[in-house]
Amino acid sequence: MWRKPNEDKLSEPLAAPVPFKSEEPVKPQSPQAPQVPSSFAAPSMTSSPAPSSPSLSKISAGLKIQGELSGDTDLYIDGSVQGKVRMMNGRVTVGPNGRVQAEIEARQISIDGTVEGNLKASESAQFGSSSKVVGSVMSPRVGVADGARLRGKIETIRTPQTPKPTAAKGAAMEDEAETIGSKVE
Amino acid sequence: MNWTAKPRLSSTGAPGAAARKPGPATSVSPSARVSNGLKEFLWLISDVPRGRVLDLGPIWQSTVSFFVEKGYRVSSEDLLRAWKDFLTTEEERLRTAAVGEGGERLSPSRLAEKFLETAVQYREESYHGVLAWDMLDYFDPAAVPPLVKRLSSLVHPGGAVLALFHSRPAERFHRYRVVDAQSVELIPAPTIAVHAHVFQNREILGLFDEFRSSKSFVGRDQVREALYVK
Repeated sequence: MWRKPNEDKLSEPLAAPVPFKSEEPVKPQSPQAPQVPSSFAAPSMTSSPAPSSPSLSKISAGLKIQGELSGDTDLYIDGSVQGKVRMMNGRVTVGPNGRVQAEIEARQISIDGTVEGNLKASESAQFGSSSKVVGSVMSPRVGVADGARLRGKIETIRTPQTPKPTAAKGAAMEDEAETIGSKVE
Repeated sequence: MNWTAKPRLSSTGAPGAAARKPGPATSVSPSARVSNGLKEFLWLISDVPRGRVLDLGPIWQSTVSFFVEKGYRVSSEDLLRAWKDFLTTEEERLRTAAVGEGGERLSPSRLAEKFLETAVQYREESYHGVLAWDMLDYFDPAAVPPLVKRLSSLVHPGGAVLALFHSRPAERFHRYRVVDAQSVELIPAPTIAVHAHVFQNREILGLFDEFRSSKSFVGRDQVREALYVK
């Protein structure tokens, strides 16, 4: 009755990476995490405790950054970011004042502000009640609080834990990977 | 469409749903509603491995979890809210436009066309199921045909659209979320749009004339659940 749908093709990133250019220098904050408003109340999601990251960086409200941000630390964004954010082993939190126009790739992603861009989390993605997101979401676990606004696609991916996947599993992962960076719907 | 050719799904809802038996809407809870339309919708898309579902209501954890756990890919776009935001922007444009610079008021159908230039932008025939809920009742009747036409273009051949129509003006504004395979929950919400039109059966059939098959269920609450198969 049905035929298998065509997968989305890879598309260009939302914003072309531009050299890092910040209007103000980003200073690493004290190791204490900022008081991130936790409006996430999805019962099925149990956010794992914050990892022991070497430091936590914060982009405060009023700060604008254009370009690519990458690293292994946790990142809290309450300012404005355009470009690309890659914190493969860290947690990226977009605070209530945060406005992000970028693809975000991280271990954990938590949104309470406004994001325009595709999100890819290797562990979990959470959307608070004040979040506004336009973009596709790829994560093994997705948590959505009541009141969250999302315009886009949600896809769950498996965490690549098995070093040698079987042929079938490999095919599945490939199938899923095809949609990474897919056009924002 | 042969509605009886396929074996029916048993109760395969979210955890806890197995114990729930179908019955009249009032037997579940005041805000829950047994939905034969949803049950049929799920049956229709059940053959599709990793199918795509488009939910045109607000995003809810329970709805997302329900479909994701079944292996579907879910897209979400709160169309009614987007429409409201669009109308607000249009009003603002009218208010601030200088004379002779596009400050004229657009007709409802032209408004809908303009709205669709930015909303519901998905690949054609990319969805196996679309949950429209009761949003069509809240659009200006003249804006509904282009919207339904767009929805029709998104649906994969054999795919289904589930829409709800009130038989009388809705007393209260609700949003809908999936509870399990055969029931939805009505969430009272602040009114973001007033009930605009009560569609008659003939009007509904006319709207969905591009679909090859239809089936409807009327609940005790006088809400018609209509299922259209492309």
